[in-house]
Amino acid sequence: MLFNSIDFALFLPLVFILYWFATKKNLKLQNALIVIASYVFYGWWDWRFLSLIIFSTLVDYTIGIYLGKETNKNKRKILLWISILVNLGFLGYFKYYNFFLDNFISAFSFFGHPINARSLNIILPVGISFYTFQTLSYSIDVYRKKLEPTADIISFAAFVSFFPQLVAGPIERATNLLPQFYKKRHFNYSRAVDGLRQILWGLFKKVVIADNCAAIVNTIFDNHQDYSGSTLLLGAIFFAFQIYGDFSGYSDIAIGTARLFGFNLKQNFAFPYFSRDIAEFWRRWHISLSTWFRDYLYIPLGGSRGSKSKVIRNVFIIFIVSGFWHGANWTFIIWGALNAIYFLPLLLANKNRNHIEVVAFNKKYPSIKTLLNILLTFGLTTLAWIFFRAENINHAFQYIKGICNTSLFSIPEIRPTDLIILLISFIGIEWLGRRNQYALETFGLKWKTPIRICFYYVLIFLIFWFSGNDQTFIYFQF
Amino acid sequence: MKHFFYKILVFGLPLLLLTFALDLFISNNLKLSNNYHGEYEVWNDIYKGDIKAEVAIYGSSRAWVQISPEILKDSLNKDVYNFGIDGNTFPMQYLRHLEYIKVNQPPKHIIIAVDFNSFKKKKDLYMYKQFLPYMLWNKNIKTHTQSYNGFRSLDYSLPLFRYLGKNAFLKKNLNIGLFSKTKENYRINGYRGMDKTWTNDFDKAKKKMSSYKIKIDPETLKLFELFLTECSKKEIKVTLVYTPEYIEGQHFIEDRNQVIDIFKSLANKYKINFIDFSQNAICLNKDLFYNTTHLNKTGSELFSRLLVHDLLELKKNTSKSIE
Repeated sequence: MLFNSIDFALFLPLVFILYWFATKKNLKLQNALIVIASYVFYGWWDWRFLSLIIFSTLVDYTIGIYLGKETNKNKRKILLWISILVNLGFLGYFKYYNFFLDNFISAFSFFGHPINARSLNIILPVGISFYTFQTLSYSIDVYRKKLEPTADIISFAAFVSFFPQLVAGPIERATNLLPQFYKKRHFNYSRAVDGLRQILWGLFKKVVIADNCAAIVNTIFDNHQDYSGSTLLLGAIFFAFQIYGDFSGYSDIAIGTARLFGFNLKQNFAFPYFSRDIAEFWRRWHISLSTWFRDYLYIPLGGSRGSKSKVIRNVFIIFIVSGFWHGANWTFIIWGALNAIYFLPLLLANKNRNHIEVVAFNKKYPSIKTLLNILLTFGLTTLAWIFFRAENINHAFQYIKGICNTSLFSIPEIRPTDLIILLISFIGIEWLGRRNQYALETFGLKWKTPIRICFYYVLIFLIFWFSGNDQTFIYFQF
Repeated sequence: MKHFFYKILVFGLPLLLLTFALDLFISNNLKLSNNYHGEYEVWNDIYKGDIKAEVAIYGSSRAWVQISPEILKDSLNKDVYNFGIDGNTFPMQYLRHLEYIKVNQPPKHIIIAVDFNSFKKKKDLYMYKQFLPYMLWNKNIKTHTQSYNGFRSLDYSLPLFRYLGKNAFLKKNLNIGLFSKTKENYRINGYRGMDKTWTNDFDKAKKKMSSYKIKIDPETLKLFELFLTECSKKEIKVTLVYTPEYIEGQHFIEDRNQVIDIFKSLANKYKINFIDFSQNAICLNKDLFYNTTHLNKTGSELFSRLLVHDLLELKKNTSKSIE
């Protein structure tokens, strides 16, 4: 079920009413309802793959119980490895099997030993990359004794399948989300209203910004050979906004929805395009994934401690693995490697934590230097996004080659004035709200109520006007 | 919680009223657009409820581009309106008939321009956007269009919902509706003669396939018979007219005679007239057509006169036989 669909518009109020009224605020019933609702939400796409979630839930729940009881180090390690192998096994099979097979075939053919093997027609289950990482984090945290294993299977199933963030995150840690299923939840008016506001902003980002950009991006990327350098550059910039609007929009809807049910999910995007360097960008972009890799891969590998060569190795590993997590394609690996290249100089010069605070925190506008830094960072990420969006590496290089010629200084063939006005307004609102969890959190709250309501009506009208194109979320494919 | 629902209500109620207002605004402006080959104009005429045609012409584009109500009116001395609906087969022609007689005086005589596609049922609703301004809470439109690809079930009942995702279409058509100064009618009394010369449509079709096989949908055939029965009960005279087809195109259609036989047997069964113009000399003259199934303006005016002639002949013969 898509957040931007009529099905979800009917599903959400129904579950909300059942959750707060039919369960009589009984915690167990509420959790059970969340599990059922989440399975319906997921099964709406393809009920067959529910079995994967249920199996993954049962495996990690059981492993958690045994890890809690077991004191023998080796046996605990074996239990952890079972969890890792099962979760990554699913991910490997559904997501990477064909990629590895095709590359083996190509490699053997290259060395003069052609082999006959057929790719399998595998459907990638929606959200598998997200919920497997979530369950993995549970097993690892229990193994590290950072978390008590749960004996409550319903709460655990609700944690794994919690529908607002099941298919595209934020990837929640058991340490944050699971305890929320144990506590009695009370309806909080302000939080619910805040949740609705965040949902509204998320829908705006997705439907108005991302989907509008998508239409132009698809045209330009699919026919890149027909366009001038300036149009291709515009296409890349639009893609940067498309992916941000799409993914952070999804996260906003997820967080807002969770808030309606009394849950707090972690912020997943913190205005990344206002970052002054790549290190800051990565602290602000897909925070739940970046911190996951930091805690479960980068730090266990040694992090930034040790020799320079080891640090360089670690940085490349997390960025490349992060790229590979996004999809079984060399383009994602290059995207990851490119970001590692951007990041390394900052890390080696010990400047990776220069910009911790919000940009222009006590000012209305950024200084010229800050603005230039923001633009440079945006330019670098946009260049990397070309690899992310391209069908293959050749496509990406052809696209970049198309940008780098004299036609870069010509007037673009595609000039979507409406969209540019929308984007400028969007950036303006994001800038004004950059100190908050999401741009609309406090935006307009000081206005007179009728004006604020009219502003929300305008947003709703724009969502209505641009909706219905059935654009799925980009991160569903990951 | 009560406060939350109260606030939702206070926020949502004006929004709901706004959706009604916007729906009305968009629908009314769409109706002003003379797009979609003038289909909006015909629907508008129907829903105004002041069509007083004694003779109604039904059919697809083979009706609205080929039969001139003016020529028929001059010779028959009766008001004539052409209800031909572009690109649609009998099920949509029947829907138009139902909507027409729902709010207007029924005709005394219906001339149906039939062809080899009359009993075909398409999966997609051709030019489905023509129904947008009229379909909210319209039972007939819902019943007859919901089996096609095109509309979702809520489109028929929720204001504004059917306009979701059609921003490009609305932008184009509302522009025409709102800002165009000259709102010339595309059709007159439902008819428009096409000032066109022979196109390469037929050559394209021949390249695509060696021949065209007719598909008859039994449900559509049943609906056609229901229509004939209803007309008979209401004492509405029906005449089936197989409109001209350019001779080369006739060879392209497989089992063409099978369809003509169906029309003949229906005419016998329901004691109605069937006039077949596909064997008329007009079909040999390429200059009168712009493709194999459509006459150009000159052709359509000639054909309209021939049709009048045959209708008058039939009338004479009927009078004689009564005498």
